[in-house]
Amino acid sequence: MIKLGAAETKATYDAIVVGSGISGGWAAMELCKKGLKVLLLERGRNVEHVKDYNTALLNPWDFDLRGNTTVQYKAENPIQSQGTDAGNAHFFVNDKEHPYVQQKPFHWFRGYQVGGRSLTWGRQCYRLSDLDFEANLKEGVAVDWPIRYKDIDPWYSYVERFIGVSGKKENLSQLPDGEYIEPFGLNCIETHLDESIRKNSHDRLLTIARVANLTRGWDGRGPCMARNLCSRGCPFGGYFSSNSATIPAAMATGNLTLRPYSVVSEILFDDQKQKAKGVRIIDTITKEHFEYYAKIVFVNASTIATAGILLNSKSHRFPNGFGNDSGELGHNLMDHHSAAGAQGAHEGFKDSYYKGRRPCGFLIPRFRNLQPNSGLDFTRGYNIQGHGERSEWMDTRDAGGFGADYKKSITHPGHWTVWMAGWGECLPYHDNMISLNDTQKDSWGLPLINIDFSFRENETKMMKDISQSSAEMLNAAGFTNVQTFNYGKPGGDTVHEMGTARMGHDSKTSVLNAHNQIHAAKNVFVTDGSCMTSSASQNPSLTYMALTARACDFAVEELKKGNI
Amino acid sequence: MNRKRAIQSLLAFAAIGVSSVSVYEWTSSGHTVKLTDLPQKKQLLAELAETIIPRTDTPGAKDAHVEEFIIKMIRESDQKSQHNFLAGLSSLEKYTADKYEHSFIECTPQQKIAVLKHFEDKATYSIAILNKINNKFLGTAFFNKLKDLTVEGYCTSQLGATQGMAYNYIPVKFEACLPLQQNQKAWATK
Repeated sequence: MIKLGAAETKATYDAIVVGSGISGGWAAMELCKKGLKVLLLERGRNVEHVKDYNTALLNPWDFDLRGNTTVQYKAENPIQSQGTDAGNAHFFVNDKEHPYVQQKPFHWFRGYQVGGRSLTWGRQCYRLSDLDFEANLKEGVAVDWPIRYKDIDPWYSYVERFIGVSGKKENLSQLPDGEYIEPFGLNCIETHLDESIRKNSHDRLLTIARVANLTRGWDGRGPCMARNLCSRGCPFGGYFSSNSATIPAAMATGNLTLRPYSVVSEILFDDQKQKAKGVRIIDTITKEHFEYYAKIVFVNASTIATAGILLNSKSHRFPNGFGNDSGELGHNLMDHHSAAGAQGAHEGFKDSYYKGRRPCGFLIPRFRNLQPNSGLDFTRGYNIQGHGERSEWMDTRDAGGFGADYKKSITHPGHWTVWMAGWGECLPYHDNMISLNDTQKDSWGLPLINIDFSFRENETKMMKDISQSSAEMLNAAGFTNVQTFNYGKPGGDTVHEMGTARMGHDSKTSVLNAHNQIHAAKNVFVTDGSCMTSSASQNPSLTYMALTARACDFAVEELKKGNI
Repeated sequence: MNRKRAIQSLLAFAAIGVSSVSVYEWTSSGHTVKLTDLPQKKQLLAELAETIIPRTDTPGAKDAHVEEFIIKMIRESDQKSQHNFLAGLSSLEKYTADKYEHSFIECTPQQKIAVLKHFEDKATYSIAILNKINNKFLGTAFFNKLKDLTVEGYCTSQLGATQGMAYNYIPVKFEACLPLQQNQKAWATK
C-alpha cells in the first residue's frame, strides 16, 4: 500500500528501509518475503512501472526539440544536464532544488523518485573476486574487507537468478562467472577485435557485456526489445529495476508500505536499549516532521546521502554522527574513473551490418596486476568497456561538404569504428570525503552536503596505461586513425560513488561489520555503496544487491534469535 | 499577357528596390538579424537547409521542415552561438545581395552552392585543433551550426529517419551480424 500525509504517523513496523533504489528495493523485497512488515521510505515521487514511463515509446520527432533539453533546463541543471536528454531528464533531480557544495569539482547525479537510479543505471553485472577482496590487506591500503568471495558467491547467484543477467562464462579467476541467460551477440568488428586480442596475448580477451537486459522472458518480464532506450524506463520490462521487479514483488506479499515524498532527516537512537528505535522524516510536500519506529532499519539512500543522514543523526551516544565511533563516516569516498581510452576505425567488413540496438557493449576483463610485482607504476587495475559500430549520421556529419553526395554519405553506413575506455579502480583515500555544511541548508532545513574528492597519482598513472593498452590492441587488430583520449572528467561522472561507511573487522577503523551492521548499533544495516571497503574496478550494483540480500537473511535470523 | 508581364516586372523592380534599400541599411548601420526576426527567415533557412540536404530519390530538408527545427534550436542555443548564427545569417544575406543583386532564395542552384561554399571555407580551418579552439572561444561558426542543425533536424525527423535512412521503432531482437543489403541505408538511431 502507498501511504501519504499524516495518516498513521508514529506507526511501528518490523523494518524500515530508507531509499527505494537498487539496494533499497532489494532490502524491501527480501524483508517482506520473510514476513516482516516493512515501511519503504523514498524522498521523491512515486514512479509506477510502465504507467509512469511517459517518454518510453516516443520517436525522436515526437519531442519538441528532438532529444535536446531546453536552455532553461541546462541553466538550472548544470550537473544533471551533462548526463541527461529529453527522454530521461525527468528521472534526474533538479540541481537548483537540490544543491550541494563542491569543494572540488564533483558531479553528483541523482534520481529522487521511487526506483531511484535503478531506472537509469548502466545494467552491467560483474562479480568481484578475491583479487579485489584481498587487495587492501595484501597492499596495506586502508582496511581489510571483512568478507571474502566465498561469503558473497551464493548471494551473487541468488541475485542473478532473480534479476536475469545475460552474459557469457569465461572462466576467469579475476572475474568469476555467474548465472547467465543467453548473451547478446558481438558484431563482426567486435569479434574481429576479440580474435586479435586472444591471438596476441595469453591473459586478455573480449567478451559481451554481462547485463541485466533480458534476452528472453524472465519472471514475467521482458524480453528486451533491443530499442536501447532503457533510461526512459522500459514498458516491456526488458531490464531489471526496483520499479519493474523488487517493489512489485514486495507489494505482492502484502507486507509493504511505500511512503514517497519522505526525506529521512535522522535515525533515532534509543539510549536505554543502545540501538536505533526508528527514523524521523520530513514530508517533502507539507514539510511536516513525522517519526516511524521499527525493530531494524536498513539505510539505502545511496552512498553520499546515506552518509549525510548518518552524520546528521546526532545523539548523546553518537555526538559525531550515527555509528561514527571510528571517525570514518563520510570518508573514503570513491568513484571509478572512466575517462581514458582509445578509438579507431577499420576499413574491413564493409559488407556487414547489424539490426536492432543492443543495449550494451563489450568488456575486456581486467588484465593488469593479476599477479603481484607486475612491474607497473600503479596498483590495482581496470576493465575496458566499449562498443563497435558502423558510423552513422551522428559520427559522419562533420565531414566536409554539403549537397547530394554529402547526403548520401551521412545516410549510408560508414566505416566500422570501435570506442573503448577503461573503468578503473579508485583507491580509498581518507580525505576524499563528504561532510555536512555548517551554514547552508536546503529547502527542508537539512544541511547541504560538502563533497571533497579528487583522483590521485595512482588513478592518473592507470589512465595513461588504459589509453596506451587500448591503442595497442586496436593497432594490433589493424585499426586505422587510432586516437587515445582522456576526457579529464571529475569524480562522480561514472556514477559509482561508494565507501563512505566502510565495512571492516574493527569498530575503531570502520563503520560496518561483515554483515553490514553498524558496529555499535546492531539493528541498523547499511547495504548501499557506502559499505564498500575498496572499489575494485567492476560496476558495483550487483555487489550492493548481493550484500543486501545477504544482510537481510542475517538480520531476520538475528531477529528470530532475539539478538537485535 | 503583356499586361501580366508588365506587372510582374514592376513587382520585381519594386522588390529589387526594397532589397537595395536593405543593402544600404546593412552597410551603413551594421544591421543584424534579431532573434525575433527568425520566423521571418523561415524561407531563407529552408533554402539553405535544402542546399545542404537536397531532395534526391528521398525527401530533402524542406520536405522534413528542417527550418522549423533550426529556429527552435537557435532559440535554445547559448548566446555566443546565437549571436554567431544571426550575424552569419545577416552576412550571408548581404554577401548574396552584393554578389548577385538578389536574395539567396532567388539564387540559381549553382549560385546557392557557391554562396554556401564561401561560408563553409570561412568557417573551417584546415587544422582540426584550430576548429576546436575557435568553437570554444568564439562559439560555433555560422556555417557549422547551420549544417549541424540541418543534419540533426533532418535525421531526427519522421521523413528523414524513415525514408532518408532506416528506422526501426521496435526491433524486437538484436541481430549482431547481417550481410549488407543493396542500397542499405544507415540506421537513424543508435
